[in-house]
Amino acid sequence: MPRFLLHRLLHGALSILGASIIIFVISRLSGDPILLLLPNDAPASVIAAMRADLGLDRPLWTQYLIFLQHALTGDFGRSYRWQMPALKLILDRLPATIELASCGLLFSVAIALPIGVLSAVHRGGWIDRIGRLFAMLGQAMPAFWVGLLLILVFAIKLDWLPAFGQGGPSHVILPAIALGWYPVAAQTRVIRSAMLDVLDSDHIRLARALGTPERQIVWKYALRNAAIPLLTMLGVYFAGMLGGSFVVETIFAWPGVGRTVVEAVFSRDFPVVQAGVLFTAILFVASNLLVDLSYGLVDPRIRDAR
Amino acid sequence: MTLLTVENLQTHLHLQRGILRAVDGVSLHVDGGETLGLVGESGSGKTMTGLSLLRLLPEGSGRIAGGSIRLDGTELTELSETTLARDIRGSRIAMIMQDPMTSLNPVFSIGDQVGSPLRNHGIARGARLRSAVIDVLQRVRIPSPDQRLGDYPHQFSGGQRQRVVAAMAIGCTPRLLIADEPTTALDVTIQVQIIALLRRIQGETGAGIILITHDLGVAASLCHRIAVMYAGQIVETAPVRRLYRAPAHPYTRALLAAIPRLGDKRARLAAIPGQPPSLIDPPIGCRFAPRCAERMDKCAQAPPLTDLGDGHTASCWKLGTA
Repeated sequence: MPRFLLHRLLHGALSILGASIIIFVISRLSGDPILLLLPNDAPASVIAAMRADLGLDRPLWTQYLIFLQHALTGDFGRSYRWQMPALKLILDRLPATIELASCGLLFSVAIALPIGVLSAVHRGGWIDRIGRLFAMLGQAMPAFWVGLLLILVFAIKLDWLPAFGQGGPSHVILPAIALGWYPVAAQTRVIRSAMLDVLDSDHIRLARALGTPERQIVWKYALRNAAIPLLTMLGVYFAGMLGGSFVVETIFAWPGVGRTVVEAVFSRDFPVVQAGVLFTAILFVASNLLVDLSYGLVDPRIRDAR
Repeated sequence: MTLLTVENLQTHLHLQRGILRAVDGVSLHVDGGETLGLVGESGSGKTMTGLSLLRLLPEGSGRIAGGSIRLDGTELTELSETTLARDIRGSRIAMIMQDPMTSLNPVFSIGDQVGSPLRNHGIARGARLRSAVIDVLQRVRIPSPDQRLGDYPHQFSGGQRQRVVAAMAIGCTPRLLIADEPTTALDVTIQVQIIALLRRIQGETGAGIILITHDLGVAASLCHRIAVMYAGQIVETAPVRRLYRAPAHPYTRALLAAIPRLGDKRARLAAIPGQPPSLIDPPIGCRFAPRCAERMDKCAQAPPLTDLGDGHTASCWKLGTA
């Protein structure tokens, strides 16, 4: 187990280092931030002074090493725009993003799990058909479209739920649905096919032959086997929601990391972009690590293989 | 005392190509404490007969089309699915399946799986469950069972897993045990152990056993009587010694001739020419006729069942004329 963990941690660290290089280089391809920070008619001497002040006059690789050295001590520099530490800016927004992603994931699993399981149990029945319809709708409707529809119906027409911002528990409902909508389709299909596989296995046949009630067979003995592929998928989706929720965050004016990073990209606020993306990368790696570790909880064979 | 009586059982599989008559008019009986061997080639309907008794046919396609199955006087074909699961499967008829490597659920502990039938059939619950599970595992000779309750199937060898499967089956002291090729997937030395185990279980509980196998050697070592199946029908039934010494049906004779023997000088193994017929559109008359060396004109009609005395019956025209 410790060797396995060490191996995964090393892997994760390499992934994060790679992400840091990519984001560092790419953010600097977007243009010169000085031109956005200073008025158009600023004299060349002022521009040069500001560039030196921000360290942007040095060679790119020197800039990267300085950035990395500081980053390792938790210093991601100050936001050019907000004049406060970039890391603090990101960390302040992080709880909101985690809240939204968790609720989105919860919503998608809450829908996908029963539909997927029942579709497999009653293959070809009406639940299976509804499940397929859900899957199709999920794949066909992008998050921004779902988000706008939800606002139109539940916030404007029916006035049941708030349309934007963060507040009480009711604020998270619509953005969570918009975020969790798309994964429902894929999750339903994964659960359905995993359940079909398991339900056709010898051990389920034996359980039936020994008079195990059908409900127990499905929800206990089969489901835990089917949970293994689902778990892999949940890890990927949770990570994706943490990092990729900027569309939903923007539509619902949700004060999360995604929206902050998008705004920082537009204002070429490099430290904030770097801190935000790197933090998302760390969360991504962490959630995958968590999934890897949780396999052992579900599957005893993996526990022993480590 | 007759435990199980099956009369004219018909099991159909509704496939896209047509209706496959997997079991076509099978009649048999098993007494308490008796072992009946059901032998035949792959596809002869042995397993389908076993599954029909529990009504565990392939979902959607499998159906019992006719006949009767009586266990201790209860007509099983008329029971509802719920009653069958609650009162028959696992409690009065239990099954041991072929492959111990896949018969156990990989993500549940042995304790949970052996305890499941005990729990579901109300034999033991709560605090008493643990000791009941240990007791059953002891009966199938799992060493130090109290320390292995939390272990998972992959931590057991093939032979031990088959013992665990046997423990799941005998936990509720079923009256009838259906063992479908219980030794096929195991090494020869382990096979002997499992056969000894089944015999001991029978001695302890007085259960009837239906042993489904294609291995005539295994059948000979465990069975009191043997029924030979061919193309969905039973062609011959006889007490075990009598079947091996004086087989009456040409198919049984051909099967026995096909067993390789140590020290046999023949270069080639004896084989039965041809293939078993399709059960979607079976031949009229004797189904073995196309492959039979002793075929006559009469074989175009179905042969009657001839009683040869002492519980020996066979379906062949030669027996009537001889």
